[in-house]
Amino acid sequence: MSLLFSGRQSGAADSAPGVLQQLLMWLLSHLRQAVFSLGELWRTPVWTLVTVVVLGISMTLPATLHVLVKNLQEVSEHYDQSFEVSLFLQSGINQTDIATLVTLLQSDPEIEKVRLIDRNAAMAEFRQASGFGEAIALLEENPLPDVLLVTPKNNSPLAAEALQGRLQKEKFVELAKLDISWLERLAALTALAQQLVYGIALLLLCGALLVIGNTIRLMIMDKKAEIEVMKLVGATDSFIQRPFLYTGLWLGLFGGFIAFATVELLLYWLSSGIARVTELYQSSFSLHVLSLKEIGWLMLAGMLLGWSGSYLAVRSHIRAIEP
Amino acid sequence: MLVFEQVSKSYPGGFVALDRVSFELGKGELAFLTGHSGAGKSTMLKLISLIERPSAGRVVINGIDLADVGRRQVPYVRRDIGMIFQDHRLLMNHSVFDNVALPLVIEGYSGRDMTRRVHAALDQVGLLDKARCLPATLSGGEAQRVGIARAVVNKPPLLLADEPTGNLDPELSRDVMRVFEAFNQSGVSVLIASHDLALIARMRYRIMSLKNGRMIHDGLIQGQESV
Repeated sequence: MSLLFSGRQSGAADSAPGVLQQLLMWLLSHLRQAVFSLGELWRTPVWTLVTVVVLGISMTLPATLHVLVKNLQEVSEHYDQSFEVSLFLQSGINQTDIATLVTLLQSDPEIEKVRLIDRNAAMAEFRQASGFGEAIALLEENPLPDVLLVTPKNNSPLAAEALQGRLQKEKFVELAKLDISWLERLAALTALAQQLVYGIALLLLCGALLVIGNTIRLMIMDKKAEIEVMKLVGATDSFIQRPFLYTGLWLGLFGGFIAFATVELLLYWLSSGIARVTELYQSSFSLHVLSLKEIGWLMLAGMLLGWSGSYLAVRSHIRAIEP
Repeated sequence: MLVFEQVSKSYPGGFVALDRVSFELGKGELAFLTGHSGAGKSTMLKLISLIERPSAGRVVINGIDLADVGRRQVPYVRRDIGMIFQDHRLLMNHSVFDNVALPLVIEGYSGRDMTRRVHAALDQVGLLDKARCLPATLSGGEAQRVGIARAVVNKPPLLLADEPTGNLDPELSRDVMRVFEAFNQSGVSVLIASHDLALIARMRYRIMSLKNGRMIHDGLIQGQESV
């Protein structure tokens, strides 16, 4: 609708018949601008590539760290599920007492499983595995105690600790041992690493934001004359800034894609090294790569980054250009 | 239609570009604004198109005081005013068609509707066959006429021209003026700033003369009636 001349038909919207048609027109014009912005980027390929690569690299590091932290958590969770309380029994205990104790423990509602390591069997295994066979043969009697491995039903470290305290007071038990301190340390380290990832990500993303903002600013300066003309013939700020916002969106999307590709490449490159390490630990660990959802988030983060960087530039600079 | 009431404009540093200027331009009227460079012609046009704001006085278009128009509404006011510039201000890396279509694109037109209107405007200035050309390949007169086509493509009720013939030879200038006359005859109000007195004196239209920011003459000048 015209502002000065009421009744004067102005704008395509005035002549469109329905709301649906207007919506369709609006969508169409946005689509056209998005494609137009892509074309503009294509016209300056080197500049675009540099910006996109800088963006991609700034997103690669946080994404890679995220994957590493994710895998570390996976490892520690894996171990969480295998808490075991080792009960070292008093020496000189006879077989009947052991059998009674095992039955007693097996009927305990908090205990999942009890496994006995007989001192003779343990000795035989130790002799074989340790390589001290001859030295051990010199011993007059078996110094090893009988050991019961108790698996608690509840998997939380706290419950395991409570169980350990209770079993410590059990008859015939010399020492109840629960080795979770290293797990706690691992968990603490993982949390620290995660915090570090967030900190570094924040810094890098700030940098990326400024890079995009600067790229868009240069584009605006390059089109200063054009923007002046557009303002003279009645373009609103939002109309003028729209192509630049789409440009930011595209840059972000491509940056996200580069980050994704780099992370995958990096993990592929690391995978043989990781396989060797896990082989040495005889664990069935397999490296988790980016999930589909995470790839989606990465792209979305890139687009958001591109859009906001562009918005920062557009807001101040387009307003400042006046005919 | 267009009213100036005691309008003054001074710039920081004390330079007074316009000093208490008053006049009224009727609906469907064509008038010339003349004076030496620096007399205040451009400033007057800038006040109408809201590129500048007056220091004192009121500028009123169709009963609406431009002082009431906020920053965000400025683009909508400009859509009602067709503007033509001495340096034609075309987008050099876009075709003639795209240049003329710009105001329509801004207002959300597309497709056949837009094409029809652009072709009609280009036809009115006699440049329909140049639609696909780039502005750089046009002559000065042609580029100026493309600028006119862009200004009238969305049929604004008011047309402002700032030295439209400044860079043209006399014959081309007369052509351009004839285009303005044609639009005026279809009911558009036209205000043309020009220092080419020899040209405008030969046409029988109202002439307003500015000197050092003051209106020193308003109406037909001597000798115009006898031509």
